[in-house]
Parts: sequence; structure tokens; C-alpha cells
Amino acid sequence: MDLITGLLTTAFLAGGVLALAAIGEVLAERVGVVNLGVEGLMAMGAVTGIATVTATHSPSLGFLAALTIGAAFGAAFAFATVIVRANQVLCGLALTLMGTGLAQTIGRGYSGMPAVATFEPIVVPGLSEIPILGKALFSQNILLYLIYIILPVGLSYVMFYTRHGMNMRAVGENPAAADAAGISVRAIRFLYVTAGAALAGGAGGYLTLAFVPSWSDGVVAGRGWIAVALVIFAGYRPGMAALSGLLFGLITALGFVGQARGWPVAPAFLSMLPYLGTLAFIIVPVIAWKNMRRTMAAPAALGEPYYRNVR
Amino acid sequence: MQDENASTTSTPGTPPRVYLKGICKYFPGVIANENVDIEVLPGEIHALLGENGAGKSTLMNILTGIYQPDAGEIIIDGYSKQFASPIQAIAAGIGMVHQHFKLVQAFTVAENIHLGWDETPKRVSASVLEARTAELAKSFNLDVKPGARVSDLSTGEQQRVEILRVLSRRARILILDEPTAVLTPAEARELFRALREFVSHGNSVIFISHKLDEVLEISDRISILRQGRKIATEQAADCDPRKLAKLMVGRDIVLDDMRGRGAGAKPKSAESVLKVSGLSALGDNGLTALRDLNFSLRAGEILGVAGVAGNGQRELSQVLTGVRPASAGEIIIDGKPMAGMKAGDFAAAGIGHIPEDRLHSGLAPAMSIITNAVMREYAKPPVARGGFFSRDAAARLAREIAGAADVAIPDFAMPIRNLSGGNQQRLVARREMRIAERILVAAYPSRGLDVGAINTMLRYIVELRDAGAGVILISEELEELLNLSDRIAVLYEGRIMGILENDQLDIDEIGLMMGGRSRIRAGEAA
Amino acid sequence: MALRIQRMPSSTPMIALAARVVAVVLALLFTALILAMNGHAPLDLAGEVLSSSLFDDFGLQDLGVIFIPLMLTGLSVAIGQQIGTWNIGAEGQFYAGAFAAAAIGLFVPAPDWLSILMMVAGGFAAGALWILIPTLAKAYADVSELISTLVLNFVAALLVYYVATGPWHDRMTNSATPAIPAEIPELWGVIHWGFPFAILLAIVLSLVLSNTKWGYEVRLSGSNPSAAKYAGIPVRRHLITVMLLSGAVAGLAGMLEVAGTVHRLQGGISNNFGYIGIMVAVLARGSLVGVIFAGAFMAFIQNSGIILQTEGLTTSSVLAMTGLILFLTAIGEELSYYRITREKI
Repeated sequence: MDLITGLLTTAFLAGGVLALAAIGEVLAERVGVVNLGVEGLMAMGAVTGIATVTATHSPSLGFLAALTIGAAFGAAFAFATVIVRANQVLCGLALTLMGTGLAQTIGRGYSGMPAVATFEPIVVPGLSEIPILGKALFSQNILLYLIYIILPVGLSYVMFYTRHGMNMRAVGENPAAADAAGISVRAIRFLYVTAGAALAGGAGGYLTLAFVPSWSDGVVAGRGWIAVALVIFAGYRPGMAALSGLLFGLITALGFVGQARGWPVAPAFLSMLPYLGTLAFIIVPVIAWKNMRRTMAAPAALGEPYYRNVR
Repeated sequence: MQDENASTTSTPGTPPRVYLKGICKYFPGVIANENVDIEVLPGEIHALLGENGAGKSTLMNILTGIYQPDAGEIIIDGYSKQFASPIQAIAAGIGMVHQHFKLVQAFTVAENIHLGWDETPKRVSASVLEARTAELAKSFNLDVKPGARVSDLSTGEQQRVEILRVLSRRARILILDEPTAVLTPAEARELFRALREFVSHGNSVIFISHKLDEVLEISDRISILRQGRKIATEQAADCDPRKLAKLMVGRDIVLDDMRGRGAGAKPKSAESVLKVSGLSALGDNGLTALRDLNFSLRAGEILGVAGVAGNGQRELSQVLTGVRPASAGEIIIDGKPMAGMKAGDFAAAGIGHIPEDRLHSGLAPAMSIITNAVMREYAKPPVARGGFFSRDAAARLAREIAGAADVAIPDFAMPIRNLSGGNQQRLVARREMRIAERILVAAYPSRGLDVGAINTMLRYIVELRDAGAGVILISEELEELLNLSDRIAVLYEGRIMGILENDQLDIDEIGLMMGGRSRIRAGEAA
Repeated sequence: MALRIQRMPSSTPMIALAARVVAVVLALLFTALILAMNGHAPLDLAGEVLSSSLFDDFGLQDLGVIFIPLMLTGLSVAIGQQIGTWNIGAEGQFYAGAFAAAAIGLFVPAPDWLSILMMVAGGFAAGALWILIPTLAKAYADVSELISTLVLNFVAALLVYYVATGPWHDRMTNSATPAIPAEIPELWGVIHWGFPFAILLAIVLSLVLSNTKWGYEVRLSGSNPSAAKYAGIPVRRHLITVMLLSGAVAGLAGMLEVAGTVHRLQGGISNNFGYIGIMVAVLARGSLVGVIFAGAFMAFIQNSGIILQTEGLTTSSVLAMTGLILFLTAIGEELSYYRITREKI
């Protein structure tokens, strides 16, 4: 039982990183922009978080700083892809290289140091006494409530039950139709791409402020890419993105447990699990969910720059 | 025709509802609009007539705020307006139903109606939106299904959704861009009735078309555009098709009946060069697109295929050229069954294909003119010998085709998308004619071309027919089909409703078949 | 007389090249600015870099040795582009090729010349194998290759790290394998025969692409698969072949690094070569011969980072600068479609 509780607790913790980044990417892709720079954004968020907390001893400020740096880089990316309309794949890759490289350069001074202050778990009285689930669900740090409850529920509501959300989704489906209907395609794309990038930065901050919690050169380890894959798996929905993150957290947790308990599998192979899992996550659904194509389909104009004034 | 519009003719001195003054718009290498002056009066149906590329759509895109004019003024009800974006035009009471609908395919009808509308409630639920849509539909007397997904609707139904969307924004100036391309003759008449009702309340309609008869039937006044300039504005009552055609093109145009054969033409063969029996095929969405087709084609004959776009024409042209597999039935060419054959085999059998969407299927826009020109013959000598591809031979072939197509090309290595649509189509046509020894399948070959280019295209087809090939001509222009075909088949929902000999045909009968009514039992003689 | 800016349907090669040059210059200026703000003298550093790499035999050899993997991964990505795909997995295929080379070189007894030939074959095969699953997923299920190729990078890196520090490790150093006996013969200093081989490969593949029937079909399929199908070309078959070729070339890069340059397998044997290869391919605008020049340029950049390590520049900083070049190149590529025209009166 202890094992299961531990597994679940770690699953939520580990999954939080992916869930937050994936939710952010959902926002960007729903308005039609693929942001492959999530990995770089997370790296910058991570290093900013650790740098801020070292200076201010406040994990909240650290998280805020991570969000801000994500938004800043995100705005640059949005400028290139939405205003200039440069190739989204290239800009995303560039962002990953820039973010990763820059973060590693800045992070040299913080390598290996544990964060001086982290997000402590908030214990919900009563509920956290529930056997097995209690500790995992009700004894986590505040960010997890944000990531698994507030953001998915709030964003789902806005996207699917409000006028603004309908307009926003139309931008990703058919920007020409949205434009002709009077919706500002550029403004909406810019806003949501930046917001999504902010969340990606925040996910990086979460990594160094709540999960690991320290900085090292390879701390992001491809999680940004996994988050992008999870968006596809989640059918471009915030709620499903959070759940997918959790599922992935479970896989990661299994890997940890295996290492801790000395399972006869080399740690390197256990570390491979998340990546192989991602591969499965993007291939299997396409084959298995042929009927669900419509509900899980990508926004029709995903990845295409929108030109109004060009023949 | 004019008598029914008695209530709409305005008294002299009425200020125009829309005054486009001196509008200019330029694109790379193209003058889209030059000094265009057009006035639209309240209660008027005003037609904008011109060939493809005359600047009609551009002008309307300016009026609706999608483009900004490079010079000139837009004056609505006496006030000068500037539309930096569509929402400002919508606020001024202007609504446009585009030729290519601006609908979100994945959304329902109700969602599309309420898109970008500040009267949409802030909280949105399917039931609320659908109820509101039903009410709106009733008030404007338009039949739509609020809960249906747009991608499931027919083009006629989608057009009604577009119209409802525009009307519900309280448009007083309704612009329609080539609306009847996707309608049967009966549906078109229904649309005209709705438009007359609309203007009877003092609203205005701008009707863009290149169809002379239609324009004469529906409009009060007609403005003719040619090469970006306005040539004239006439009262419809003072015009006839010949006069309009001349204004449209700038010279006398005789729309030929090309069915007669000249001296050197090969006669129709006795045996069929193509025989199709029980042919069925699935569309991209997995549903049946063609059902149990039976017809044959003789060498030296033109078989026209009429029907509203979207009834299986695309799938038919693909199945007959091996791009799409048949799900049932047989295709026999020169006595040889083509079961299981692919596109390359069909081409080798002497079948050419002018595809419906040349940029998507017939060309690689980003690649050079040479690469595109040799697309059908790249595997044969002289272009290819052994496994090797000779760039010189390819360039020579490209020059030959360009010469036959009479297209002046400054640089054969440049991407083919730099050429105009008409030039691209001519190159594709001549490229296909070279390999179409037995059959040419031409799908909407004149779409998007101006009258001069259309005439050239049709002459190519006749040339091919006289050389002894059989031609299947799929077109949405009934006049074109009547002028060229020996027989006409009508396609509706993937079925052939009937095949008629083209002598003294009754247009209404074809119209009925296009709309799914009436079927001729005796369809086919082998 | 007014000036207008219009977007053309195509850009010209000259303008696209100019855009890239401008992007590189801007990125270098920006880097110089950052260096200056941190107390370095950019012009002195530039002088140091130029003299160390270009006017010094050892410097040129270092340049040459870095050129080989960068040019080959660039070639790999450019090949993938011919069929319309982005091979972001060149890094992983590189590791796979390195792995195969080490496995053969360390454990298959054979005379040196045979061992090298087997390693070449192994490198090709391992690279192709590493891209196989993403290839099949794209060809049969239309799964985007962007992520599928990428996640395998991490798997390959972990695999190599595992064997180099685990079962195959050299008892002396814990982080690498023992030296591989068969070595690719040297051509000049440390530059080995892999150098001309790589260049020859690029030229040959480029000629095949433009002068064979197969090459024509591949190029058409990459540009517009619908048109290719309509012309009767087996697009899917070409997709698979070309993607596997792309993987194989990246695998070769890994093999050459192991058997020609480093002579052993170690954890970090790739210095982000696969990712920088993307930059090489983009600079070369997808041209298979162009990657030779773009590869030389990026080798120079990478090498500068190594030379300037004493001044505080690391591979990470070079990575960041490469990202900046890519970012500015992407913007420049889009802007190169715009033309400024004069208004008629």
C-alpha cells in the first residue's frame, strides 16, 4: 500500500511538469500555431526559477519569474510566427536551441545545488488521511492544484462554453473564416501563443522549484518534446492534456520505483521508458482511434501561417 | 423579367447606398482594380459582370474590408468610410457570401452563425445556439439544420448557412460572389426569389457573375469590369447577351457551336474506346461517391458530364485515370480491362487527365516549369534512358509544350507558380494532350480562365476529338457542354441520372436531373 | 511616387542567400555585443579565432575533423527534406551508427580493412534502423516524423551512455570503451579518409537526384505528393527509401566519428551534431551540395566555440548562438518573399 501511495504521489509530482507544458501547448495549437520550442522554454524557465529563488528565497517569485521569461521568449516566437509569418517548425527548433543553450550557460553557476526554498506540500486536513489516495491527492504543493484542477477546468470551460472560446477555436480551424467574421486572427494567435509559452516556462520553473528540485545541464531531458507529443495524444483538450501528463508521471514514477527497489533492469533502460512511451503514445492512437478521428482531430489550419492580403 | 422589379427602381436623385469612387488596387505584376467607379442604389440588384481576373472579387474584398484600396474612396449612405478590417464593414451593414465559403468545417451550423458576433451570448451551449439559429432561419425564411456539422452538408446547404450568417448581422448590402456555381437551375431560381424579396425592403444586392443570361435575368443594372477597369454601367433592360459579351471581352465574341466536324476529322468509331459497367467508388471520407455507373465512349466523340459540383465528378475523373481505385465494376479501355491498374498504367494506355484542381493535383507549384512540363513523359525516352534523366531533353520537351500552348516563358527554371492561372492551365492541357492518344478526361478545364483562354482550351479539345480520341468533358457550364458534347450525361449524388443525345435538348430536363429529379430509363446503348 | 511592399509567390536564390548572410551577420554582431558587455574584446577574440583555425595547421585539422559529422548530419537532414520530411532524429541515428561501429570494431574479430568496411555497413544499417519506426509510422499511419524521430534521440544517447560506462567500459577510464583497433587511415594530420568520402557522398547523391529518373520522382513526391500520385509515382515507396537513406547517412556520421576521429565510444560522443545538422541543412536551403559549404561554415562556428573556451565560451553558448542564427534565418527566409515596388503615378 505504501508502494501505491508513493507511486501515486510521485506520479502526480512528475506528471505536473508535463501537464503544465502540455496545457500551454494546447493553447498555442488550438489557435493554429505549432510551438516546437517548448523544450527551450522549459529550460529557460527552469534556470530562471532557480536563479530567482536563490536570490530571493521565495519559490513563488521564482515561479512567477519562470512564467515571465516564458512569456518573453514566447512573445518573440509569436512575433516571428504570427506577425512575420516565418516557418513555425524552424522558429520552434531555433527557440529550443536558443533556450537550451542559453539556460545551460546561465545555469553553470547553479549546477547541482538544491533549491534554497521549494514549494512545500499543503496538507488538506481530513482528506489527506484517506488511505492510499489521500496523501497523493490532498497532500501536494499548491502548484499541483493549479496544474491539475484550476487550469484544465478553467481553460476547458472558456474554450468550449464561452463565446470567446468559440472564436478562439475558429482561428485555429479556419483563420480566413474567423477573419471574415470580424475576429482578429493576429491578436488571438499572439495572445495564446505567448500564454502557452508562459505556461511552458512555468513548467520549467516547476521542475527546479518543486519536482527535482535543482538545476543541472540536462534537467529538462526532453520533457518539452514529450509535452508536445502529449497534446496530440490528448486530442488538443486541456483536461485530457492534464490527464495525459499524469499518465506519463505514472510511467516515470514506475521508473523511479524500479531504480529504488533495485529491479534487475539497468537505470539507463528505465530512463528510456518515458521516451519509448511517447513513441507509443503518438503511434498507437492513430491506429486505434480511427473512429474518434473527429473528436481528436487537430485544428484544421494547424501549422499554416495566415495571409489575408495575398492572392 | 424587369416587370417584377417595378418596386425597386429608385426615383431619380436618390443617393446611392454604396459609392465606390476611384478605387485602385495593385498586386505583384497585376493591376487588379484601376479607377473603378460604381454606384449601387437602395432597392437595387446590381450585377458586377466580368471575366475571371477582371477584378470583381478584388473590388468586393475591398468593400468588405479584407483588402485596403491603394487609392480611392468608399462612401456608404453618403459617409466616407475606411474599412481596416472585416468587422468594420460588417458594422456598416455590408455582408458577403464568398465563392469559397468562409465556414469552419468542424463546427456546427449554429456555431458558424454565431461566430465573431457580439450578439452571441457570452456563455455558449449547443442548445441555446441552435434554438437561436432556428429562430433566425425562420425569420429569414431559409432552411438550415442548426445542429448539423458543416462538413456534412451539401454545397447548396452550406451556401444557405453563409447567407443566413450574413443576413443575421443585419446586412443591408448583400454581396454574392458567383453564387449559382453550386446550385441547380431550380435552386438558383429559388435564390433569385429570395434576393428580390430582400431588395423589396430597400436593401441592396451586388451580384458578381460571369454568366450573361443569369445577370440579365436577375439584375436591375449591370456594371462591366474588364482587366481591372470599369467599362460601363447599363440598365439590364437595355442589354442582350451579345452586347454584354462584347463589353466584357472588348471584341466581338461568337460562342461557337463546335459540334460540327471538319473535313479532316476522324469520324466516331463503331466500337467503344472506353466502356464502364457497374462502376462504383468510395470518396475520401469512406462513403460511396460513385454508384453503379454504366456508360461508354467512342473514339472521336465528346461525352459531356453535367451536374452541380460535388456530386462525384472529382471521383469520376480520378477513377477513370487510375488515381482512385474502383470499389466495384469494370473499366474497359480498347477491350482491355483496367482492374487493379494504377495511374501510370492508365497514362501508358493513352489516357490524359486535365484535373479539376491543377495546383493541387496537376502541378508542383514550387518546382520549375521544366519539371512540371515533363511530368507525364519523364520515364520515357528521350527524357529518360535507362535510369538516367536528361536535363537537356527535359528542357527541350518543356519548350515544345510551351510553344504548343503559346505561352511566353522568360525563364524555364523558375517555379511554375509564378505563371498566371491561364498559362498554367494551357501548359497542363497541352501536356496531357500529348499522351491522350485514346482518351482525354477533362475536369472543369475552363474554370478560372478568361474567355480568350477558354476558347483556346475548347479548341484544343475539339482538336483532340478530330484526331480520333474520345473526350470526357466534365463541366459546370451548361452552355459549354451544349456547344461541345455529342452526348451529355448528368451526374447526381454519384449516379448517372440519364444520358441524352445533344440535339434539341431541353435545358429544363437537364436541370431536373441535376437536381435529382427525373431519370431516363433508357440510359445507355453500348 | 510611393513605395509598396508586396509578397511574391516565390523568392529568388540570390535573395534567399542574402537573407541568410544577413541573419548570420546579425547573430554574430549580437554575440559580439554580449561578449563585449561581459568584458571581452570581440575584435581580439575574432582575430584569435581566425588565426587559430585558418592560419594554423592544427587549427585547420580541427576544423576539418568537426566538419565531417556536421556536414553529414546536414546531408542527412537535407535528404529528408527532398521527400518533404524533417529528420530531427539525426542525433539519435548518429549515436546508433556510433554504437554499431563500436560493437563491430570491438567485438568482431577481422583484419583491419575488413573491420572498417563492416563498420561502414553497420553505421549505415544502424542509422536506417533507428529511423525505421518513425518512417513506417509516417508512411502507413501519417504520424508526424517531428516527434517520433526526436524522442529516439534520447533513447540512443542513453543506450550509448549505458554501454560506454557499463558493459563495454574500459577498466582504466570509466566513461568510455577501450580503443577500437581498426582505425580509418589518416589523410592529413588527424583528418581521415572519411573527409573526402563524405564530400564525395554528397556530390554523388546530388547528381543522382538531378540526373536520374528515381531522383526526379523523389523530388516531385517531396514537392507535391498529390501531383506525384497523379503522375503514377509510388510516393510511399520513395518516402520510405529516402527516409531510411537519411537515417543511414546520419548513422555513417556516427561511425566515422568513432572509427576515424575519437577511436572509441564514449557517452557524449555527439556534440549536438544532429541538431546543428538541421542548421546546416537550412543554411544550405536543402541543397545536397550546399551542405558542404554550410557544413564548413558551421564547423567554423563550432570550432570557434572550442577555441574560445578559455574566454568562457562553451558549447552551450555556441548552441544558443546557432539557435539565434536559425531564428533569424527563418525570419529572413520569409522576408525574402517580399519585394519593394514603385507605385505607378
